[in-house]
Amino acid sequence: MSTLHVVSHSPFTDSRLASCLRVCGNADAILLCGDGAYGLHNAALQTRGVKVFVLAEDMLARNLPLPDWADSVDYPGFVQLSIDYDKVNSWL
Amino acid sequence: MSKSLLVISRQAPWSGPSAREALDIVLAGGAFDLPIGLLFMDDGVFQLAPQQNAKAVQQKDLSANLQALGLFGIDDVFACGHSLAERGLTAPASAQALGNDAIGKLIDRYDQVITL
Repeated sequence: MSTLHVVSHSPFTDSRLASCLRVCGNADAILLCGDGAYGLHNAALQTRGVKVFVLAEDMLARNLPLPDWADSVDYPGFVQLSIDYDKVNSWL
Repeated sequence: MSKSLLVISRQAPWSGPSAREALDIVLAGGAFDLPIGLLFMDDGVFQLAPQQNAKAVQQKDLSANLQALGLFGIDDVFACGHSLAERGLTAPASAQALGNDAIGKLIDRYDQVITL
């Protein structure tokens, strides 16, 4: 079973993304939203080899460049991802 | 067949309502015989530390709720080994310590996950 992990906190002030990266499986994906979008600056995300999505408006609001190892999605895309993966784990 | 639920509790016991709420979800699920698991991770493992004194901060003791897990038929209680080691804690007899890969497989096994 695959899990979509939703992370909405900056990895630079908070351990959620680091913990998520420790336990997420190869078939899983991570969706960054809110301050979680700052995770695009986090090298660990790139090297982990897990699929990464970022909510476009949160990325644009913060003027973050989209790296080639991540994909951006809008809200309908967010909904589609939550359907495509077996379950959603929101790191509240 | 009900969907199985894993609750991941990752907040320290006295930092806010999250720790108690995670336990309440698990106990409520247990009361309805849902297949439910509980994983303590990150600062959540501090909930497992022995001899805490909730009265010192005018709060209710969580240890009674923790002890009630068995009574509610919740036997799948786990703790993140990495988080325990980071904090110099060991898992109590009531919780099984798991490595990172085992936690990944654990999350995989459940139909739904709630992280608080």
